[in-house]
Formats: sequence, structure tokens, C-alpha cells
Amino acid sequence: MRSAPDAIRLLRFGAVTRNAHRIHYDAEFARSEGLDGPVVMAQLHGCLFHRAAAEFAGGDPAAVRAVGWLNRAPACAGDRLTVTGTVREVGPDEIVLDLEERRGDGTVCCRGHAVVARRP
Amino acid sequence: MEPEASRADLDTGVDTGADTGVDLAEKRARALVGRVERRSLGVVRAGAAAEFARAAGEDAPRLVDPDHPEFVVHPMYVVSLLRGAPGADDAEFRPDGMYRDEVPGTDGLDVSLMAGGQDVRWSCAVRVGDDIEVRRTLVSVERKGRGAGFILLTVEKTYGTPERGVLVEVTERFIVR
Repeated sequence: MRSAPDAIRLLRFGAVTRNAHRIHYDAEFARSEGLDGPVVMAQLHGCLFHRAAAEFAGGDPAAVRAVGWLNRAPACAGDRLTVTGTVREVGPDEIVLDLEERRGDGTVCCRGHAVVARRP
Repeated sequence: MEPEASRADLDTGVDTGADTGVDLAEKRARALVGRVERRSLGVVRAGAAAEFARAAGEDAPRLVDPDHPEFVVHPMYVVSLLRGAPGADDAEFRPDGMYRDEVPGTDGLDVSLMAGGQDVRWSCAVRVGDDIEVRRTLVSVERKGRGAGFILLTVEKTYGTPERGVLVEVTERFIVR
């Protein structure tokens, strides 16, 4: 699953979640915090993991029972992000996926997992 | 080994006068461990959930079209909300734009806040019309890194309604440096 959240997406996502943290839209402030620029919200990383898991489950968002991630490196506005996954475990009624999100330069932004229901 | 007096300071959040912002945040946070906080996120509206899905980059009709016969609230919607409608007063914000109470123990301190990651577990789907209350408990405070280092805060949250019980559980980590 690929996505490139740009400044517009960050602004929209911040607005609907009422997230006014300046690291997400104020470039000068973000640099003062040691970042290269405005960064993608943690919850948006979570949404990308959720979407990847839902796509694996045939496009059913309700099939995702759990999703988790650890932030490893920031992703800045405009970075091309790719979420990949591998099947860790297949149980009688659910599948556990290991997920990873990387920037275009190969840097790992997030590592995590998802649990999805097996289709009948 | 820390003297007994310092241990007591850590437990009560007392400012000894020579502490950094991270030190103070650690003391305050340790004093908050186990305290349950509650906040209403309000009633889930189809239009708002669809707007969230669009903002997240979704295009599946069942997530972005409230009139779709199989419309569902995006599962990440309520767990991504930092506040419900109608938002917050000016006095609720830190200078960095974060809410003063979003990261336990950091109100008024000149510290940097970063998200560390989350684990989200759904037991039931959130539905349109659910009046969501979030309960938050700070469960651990860990000092990490070398030198001044940073603190890692872990909070447990539940999202639910009085009628339907707990719908979603979240473990969230914050980095304070």
C-alpha cells in the first residue's frame, strides 16, 4: 500500500482530529524541534497500517481486529510511504500480519502488526 | 543510589529547583500513575466520520459516503480524535499547539512531545450515534537514553458508551524530551 501524505492532507487530517500540534504544519517550529519539516501524525500512520490490513482482508475495514505500530523515524509531508506486510501467523479464525512502513529512501518510519479476521 | 528524600520527591512531583523540564515531567507523571481520567468525545456523526475517512486518504464508498447502504464509521476515527466537538478553548493549548493535558505531567513545561506509537484493539465497531467516552490511565513512566535522555510514558485508554460498554482499547506511548 502506497501513500504520499502532503501538506494539504496533514492540514485536513489535523483539522478533523482537532490536532493543532505545530510539528504537523509549522515548518519553522518543526525544524526547531530537530525535524526536517512538518511530520505525519501518528494516527495517520495508524490509518495507513489499518488500510493495508483491510486491503489484505479483502477490503473490509471491519475485518481488522487490532493494529499496532511503533514510530521509528518521522515521515515528512510529501514523503512517499510504502506499507508492506508479511504473514506471521495463521490461526483458526484470524491472521497476524507484521507490517512495516518505509520512506522512499528506505528509512523505516513505523513497524507494527495487525490482526485480521479470516474470511469464511 | 538515590537518597530517600529524592525518592519521595519523585513520588510526589515536588520541584526541587534544579530540575530540567524532563525531570519535572517525570516527577509529575510518576505522581499521576494509576489515576483514571475521563473525557467525552460526543456523539459520533456519520458526516464527521466520513470527513475523517476522506482526510485520511480513503476512497472506499462505505467509508466516505454516509448514504452508502453499507456505510461504517472508520475504525480509526474515534481513536484519532484529540477532542470532540466543539473543540477547545484557547487556554487549553500549550505554546507548541498540543493540548495542555494531552501528555500527562507536561503542562507548562518547556519540553518536546512526540508520539511513540499505539496498539489499538477493537472489540466492537463504533457506530453512528454512539456517545463516546474515553477513559485514560497513565500506567508507566520510564527514563530512557543517555545523559538527560527522555521519558517514555505509556497510557491505556478505553473508548465506549454506557449502553454498549468498551468498544476499543488503546495502548499509547509518548516521548518527552
